Amino acid sequence: MRAQRADMIDPATIAALGHIELVARWIVDGFLAGMHRSPRKGFSVEFAEHRPYQPGDELRYLDWKIAARSDRWVVKQYEEETNLRASLVLDVSRSMEWTGSPTRLTKLAYAERLVACLALLFLRQRDAVGLVRFDDSVRTVLPPRARSAQWKRIVTALNEGGTGRASHAPEGLEAAGRQITRRGMIVLISDLLVDADGVLRVVRGLRGAGHQVTVLHVMDPAERELPFLHDAVFIDSESELEVPASVAEVRAAYRTTVGEAIDEWRSAFAATGTSYELITTDSPFGVPLRRAFAARQRLP
Amino acid sequence: MIGFLTPLWLLAGIAAAIPLLIHLLRRRIGTRVEFPAVRYLARAEREHSRKLKLRNLLLMLLRVFAVLVVVLAAARPVLRAAGTGHAPTALALVVDNGLSSSLVSNGQAVLAALKDRAREVVRRASAKDKLWLLTADGAVAGGTRGTILEAIDRLEPLAGAGAPASALAAAASLVRQDARQEHEIALFTDAQATTWRSPLNLGDVQLRVFVPAAVNSRNRGVTAAGAVPVRWTPRGAVRARVLTPDSATYRITLGGRTLARGTAGRDEEIAVRAAPAERGWTAGAVEIEPDEMRGDDVRHFAVWIGAPPGVAVHPAVGEFASSAIDALIQSERVASGNDIAFVPVDAATRLPALLVAPSDPVRLGAANRALERLGVPWRLGLVRRGETAVRGAGARDSQAAQRLANVSASWRYRLMRRPGESAEVLATAGGEPWIVRGGGYVLIASPLLPDATTFPVRASFVPWLGDVLSHGLTATASSVVTSTPGRPVPRPATARELELPGGARQPLTTDTLQAPERAGAYFFYRGGARVGALVVNPEAEESDLTRLGDAALQTKLGTRQVRVAHDQRSLAAMILTSSPRRSLLMPLVVIALLLVLAESVLAGTGGRRAA
Repeated sequence: MRAQRADMIDPATIAALGHIELVARWIVDGFLAGMHRSPRKGFSVEFAEHRPYQPGDELRYLDWKIAARSDRWVVKQYEEETNLRASLVLDVSRSMEWTGSPTRLTKLAYAERLVACLALLFLRQRDAVGLVRFDDSVRTVLPPRARSAQWKRIVTALNEGGTGRASHAPEGLEAAGRQITRRGMIVLISDLLVDADGVLRVVRGLRGAGHQVTVLHVMDPAERELPFLHDAVFIDSESELEVPASVAEVRAAYRTTVGEAIDEWRSAFAATGTSYELITTDSPFGVPLRRAFAARQRLP
Repeated sequence: MIGFLTPLWLLAGIAAAIPLLIHLLRRRIGTRVEFPAVRYLARAEREHSRKLKLRNLLLMLLRVFAVLVVVLAAARPVLRAAGTGHAPTALALVVDNGLSSSLVSNGQAVLAALKDRAREVVRRASAKDKLWLLTADGAVAGGTRGTILEAIDRLEPLAGAGAPASALAAAASLVRQDARQEHEIALFTDAQATTWRSPLNLGDVQLRVFVPAAVNSRNRGVTAAGAVPVRWTPRGAVRARVLTPDSATYRITLGGRTLARGTAGRDEEIAVRAAPAERGWTAGAVEIEPDEMRGDDVRHFAVWIGAPPGVAVHPAVGEFASSAIDALIQSERVASGNDIAFVPVDAATRLPALLVAPSDPVRLGAANRALERLGVPWRLGLVRRGETAVRGAGARDSQAAQRLANVSASWRYRLMRRPGESAEVLATAGGEPWIVRGGGYVLIASPLLPDATTFPVRASFVPWLGDVLSHGLTATASSVVTSTPGRPVPRPATARELELPGGARQPLTTDTLQAPERAGAYFFYRGGARVGALVVNPEAEESDLTRLGDAALQTKLGTRQVRVAHDQRSLAAMILTSSPRRSLLMPLVVIALLLVLAESVLAGTGGRRAA
């Protein structure tokens, strides 16, 4: 399995191979192996310590003297290397606990693995990363830390309970904003079946505070296509809204509406300078990782 | 104008309600599905409700119309295009040329009027039509207009009624088998009530009937004529009946010679006794004065005339039997002679013979040996004693049965027939044969003594004995065969040839022969001698010219599409008038396919990308 890049394997397939921690490592390793250059940035002029060379490190930071003396490959690290504080905001409401097909991960399972991967990726860049989980209230708040033990805490927190009825994203975003005292990065991972005005209001505030905000909109493919074959009464378990529909008749209109809703989200976030990415749960984890990484790259 | 070839399919139009019901009931959904993005679904329905409703309505209409068009196509609609001549038609003309059509009314024979109308119909036919001409004698002619016109010209009235109903049924069968668009039958008839007596079943065929208006139905005719008995020795009688509204003068001829003349009243039976000088099989006729229908003014009969048979009476037959023979001799019904033996069985040595059971049971063995020797297929069995009623064979009111009424047998021999032999039982006693007859013999199972049977002391014994000796032992009544013209009749066993008018003889090789088309008395021959007669006369009811009204005629003809005309103009307006039909099946099938295609496309806009 590892002969392939784990970040490009079908998410349900790789998730079935092991625990979230193990799977996240495979994915991030695969992702980093695919990069043409080291993702690391922020090497300042004040030397701090040496560390072993890893594939992807820039050769200009290689300590040639030590290499010449001891035949060991090490790179020099500096004080200002960890210059980013990031907070991952994960929606764990009931709507996330859904999949349109037993062969796919639920949106929450997909998002949890994605959070684990992002946290590991940030930590490997010596960035401080924290986690906020929310449903109808904030369930978990882990302040950003750059230590390697932080990832363990994040993975452990992912296993905590949640999936409450409602999805109060503004509270989660505000909690994340409070954890980052200086300019940082906030990544919202949600199906965005939330109150749009509240989210946009908080995002505008975060942007005003100088934070980079990235929204990863997680959707099940069935939510985009409405592939059901029979007529049914469709029920939203969060709001208990019920809509009887003849699928064959409403499918085209539904797809149009979903497309319009996505465009509205994209436009609204673009207006606030927020990065917005639509992720479907059948996409390999490498796809959202690359997009989040690209957002990270735009930061100093 | 649109018509339907299979209109019952239109009932299937009820199926058009199915899409409608589905449309109305579609919101009654039982399945419940959890779906987080319900808000998008609600929004889609809210924002696109008008479009969705329009699409649903369009889908429902397409489905309803598709069902209706398919149902219409199944009913096979046809469009009649007016003003382009008549449609190709299979037309059968049936001319009822029975005897009654020979009636002359208003100076013209009814058949001539029927032929005129038939000719006019044929002249209006086109080359695309198929024509047949059928007549009451069963003849069928088909072909071009010219051929049919010639066949009509040759038509003559039959000597009898013929079978116009059979011709009509055959016509219906012919037109139904033809592939042309239209099937019509034109019947030309005088609507004689006795011809159309039983309702027909012609099925769903268009029948147009021409009946001449104002035909004189007064007619005189001889409805019955015959010799009684068929064998005169040499006395006999001619009995006849004349149909006449008042009175009619008749003449009876025998062998071409006038036997009697007279006047008969209405429903009066004519009976003329005679002892003519002619001998052998002779033809006779009963005639009345000619009237408007000549065919029934004469009726033929045949009679055998000869000397009375000579009877040799054995003394042992009994005193009563001997006295009866004496009475018959005195009345010249029989004579003394050796033609027929009247003898006890045990004393019989030859046939023909009237055989009486022996008065002494001791003679039983000798009697059976005599029967064996004479070739009589019966044996006398044990004596049965006890008063037993005798019953004559045949109908209770027949002459033979009446003559044996109140006769009983006190003792009798049991008659046993030899297996495999056929014989005729004339009377039974206690359910067992008592008097039997065969070739050349009549056998009585009791002696003709008062202590054995009451028969010889009854008044009916003498005439019974006279009939048996005159006819029963010399010939059978089947020697005279009566028939109507053209009908098949059984050939008498002894007949080998049939003498036709003019003296020619037609060999008879089969068991049945067809009676000549002309009425008359014809004679059967065996060798050089006449052995019987075939008497051909028209059906008696053919003289009754009572006509059916239009409604009654329509009922009798047994088809829903009967129309009756009484003049040429009305007839022309109802025959060969159907406009050409054009089938709408293919256009409807195309429309149905287009509707189904449109429905698929429209339905597919919401469902094709489901997978």
